[in-house]
Amino acid sequence: MSRILGIELRRSAALGTALALLVVGVVLLFFAEGISFATGWMQLAMTQRLYLAVLWPLALAAGAWQARREHRSNVAELFASTPRPRSHRTMPTLGAMAVAVVFGYLLVGLAGGLWIIDTARYLPMSVFVVVAVGALSLVAAAWLGLAIGRLLPSLVTAPALGVAGLGLLLVIPGATRPRGWLALVFSPIYEMNMPDAYATVPAQVSLAQALWLAALAVTAVILYASSGWRLRVAAVLPVVVGAALAIMVMPHQERVVNSAIDPVARELVCTEDEPRVCVSRVHGQLLPEVTPQAREGLAVLAKLPGAPTQVHEDTTTYSPEVTPPQRDDVVLLRVEAGSDGHLKDRADVKAAVVSGACASPAGCEKAAGLAERLAAGYWLMGREPVAGETSEPTIIAEATELWRSLRQLPAGEATARVVALRRTAGTCSVDEGPLSGGKR
Amino acid sequence: MMRTVNAAETAPTTYPWAVHAEGLRVRAGRHLAVNGLDLALGTGVHGLLGPNGAGKTTLMRALATVVKPAGGRLTILGESVDGRADLRRVRRGLGYLPQQFGFYPRFTVREFVEYMAWLKEMPKAAVAGAVQRAIDRVGLTAKADARMKTLSGGMLRRAGIAQAVVNDPRVLLLDEPTVGLDPEQRLDFRELLRDLGVDSSVLVSTHLVEDVVAACTDVIMINEGRLVHQGTPETLVAQGGQGDAGDSPAERGYSALLRRHRAEAGR
Repeated sequence: MSRILGIELRRSAALGTALALLVVGVVLLFFAEGISFATGWMQLAMTQRLYLAVLWPLALAAGAWQARREHRSNVAELFASTPRPRSHRTMPTLGAMAVAVVFGYLLVGLAGGLWIIDTARYLPMSVFVVVAVGALSLVAAAWLGLAIGRLLPSLVTAPALGVAGLGLLLVIPGATRPRGWLALVFSPIYEMNMPDAYATVPAQVSLAQALWLAALAVTAVILYASSGWRLRVAAVLPVVVGAALAIMVMPHQERVVNSAIDPVARELVCTEDEPRVCVSRVHGQLLPEVTPQAREGLAVLAKLPGAPTQVHEDTTTYSPEVTPPQRDDVVLLRVEAGSDGHLKDRADVKAAVVSGACASPAGCEKAAGLAERLAAGYWLMGREPVAGETSEPTIIAEATELWRSLRQLPAGEATARVVALRRTAGTCSVDEGPLSGGKR
Repeated sequence: MMRTVNAAETAPTTYPWAVHAEGLRVRAGRHLAVNGLDLALGTGVHGLLGPNGAGKTTLMRALATVVKPAGGRLTILGESVDGRADLRRVRRGLGYLPQQFGFYPRFTVREFVEYMAWLKEMPKAAVAGAVQRAIDRVGLTAKADARMKTLSGGMLRRAGIAQAVVNDPRVLLLDEPTVGLDPEQRLDFRELLRDLGVDSSVLVSTHLVEDVVAACTDVIMINEGRLVHQGTPETLVAQGGQGDAGDSPAERGYSALLRRHRAEAGR
């Protein structure tokens, strides 16, 4: 059996399938919409799942293509005279195709992994689960392709099945609306797009998806390996049971994956020495890059009374809405990884920390404006405001104007206004024109 | 080459004929291509002759257990072959080269023969040796690792024979094995046939009467699904007279038998 599996691996469509998945997968991963997985392993695993949009139909078509071999090469007559039953004969083919798609998928992951291996540290178990479900979906696709290709051994089956598979994945979200969780059961790519830093796929979701895909795979095997119509009818059973189980297991809520947060990824990891700088665990590799500039920022702020002494990553998420607790001694800083896995906006960290000292907590009605914060920050640093990667020109222009007016004031008065801004910002009581000498 | 002989092979057979058909009827589509055929084959090489449409291929397919008989009795290697029988044991003792030999073009000769050995449920340990032996026997040793799709017609036919004999079948069915072979290869093939016929029952269908006379111990002639003649090559030759069509004594015998059978059928 193992020797025959070896022959099938070499001579069936397996090698070509693995290669096609690898090439298409890598091209998509790196070039489809830039590198969106540089933050870490979970982002890579989820991005890879998203590109199943193309890989899944490809595996389906590859299975159908392979299934035509028996028909095309006219071996039915010869094989019918041999004792080994069809169910045995199909096992090496099923095995070779499964090995091929799993191998191809893992190699795509490996290519992505090499890109982030220096910068990504946090590797939760759920990453492996997300990858495993993706690989399982490809196995199910390849086997389903074999089954359909066997039942319809035509030249057009493979390309038609590829197009149909792609169409199916695109149609599922719309067809299941407003029950998005149904899409999550049947589509391995649903809600996998643009994972944020603390994204995860809940275990229950992966379990439901795995149940459905395993059932689909079993049905495909029965259809492909059986030789009687009774078994073919019975093949409906696993897929129905699997769908029912998966629907039972899947949480019946909207946006289950999009609003899932990995609390461990979000936990802060800090420098051991003072002043403390902390980032979320998923950004842990960025801590050495953030720390020096963050501390420079704290040094600038030190001249203020009651100056903050720590910089923490701002781990606010909007879905679900979770904000870190507001503390007077802590400046919150947004931390993001660039496409190279290193800190994005590297030059801006110091300014962001200094201006961040005057930021209001999330949800404030009377919050400190960005222009005011920038003006105050740059005044403290003694520099003219410059456009960072994220700020708009109008905001910068406004900030520069405010910054000029601060500079024209006596130092004591300017400091007092900045201190007042910081105080009122913290208590959500910023009035109009906080830096122009309005009510303190 | 030495080969391990297992107990099953040395056990005495408990059946008089490797193939035994009584009143066998087999359909090809809606047409009864084999219609009331009586046939008994023992060890040796049996040449199957008959005009096109005589039912040779349909008979071969029935003996290969590919089509179920529509009536009569068929016993192969002592086991009854009908709709309900478990054919697995019979099939382990079969070798079959169909008229249209299908193969996987991307496989090498060795891989395809090994694959067929696996399909014939040969014991794992015996496969590698048996594959090499089968390839050597048909003279494809030098092409053993060439892809099937690169073989010429004659080589393909020999690869087909190699897969048929890989399991040392007790019943070997070769449907027009000499198509595409050049004269030298045909001589080698006759040699191989004689060798194979020593301990198995070989049924070779062909249009080449000369091959039958040269290599067969027994001649079977069928027409319109019925047995016309069964005997040694000498008896075939003896049927022919100077007035019969043909360039050799055997061909004249063939023509004479066919003419007489048609005359009887027409009466």
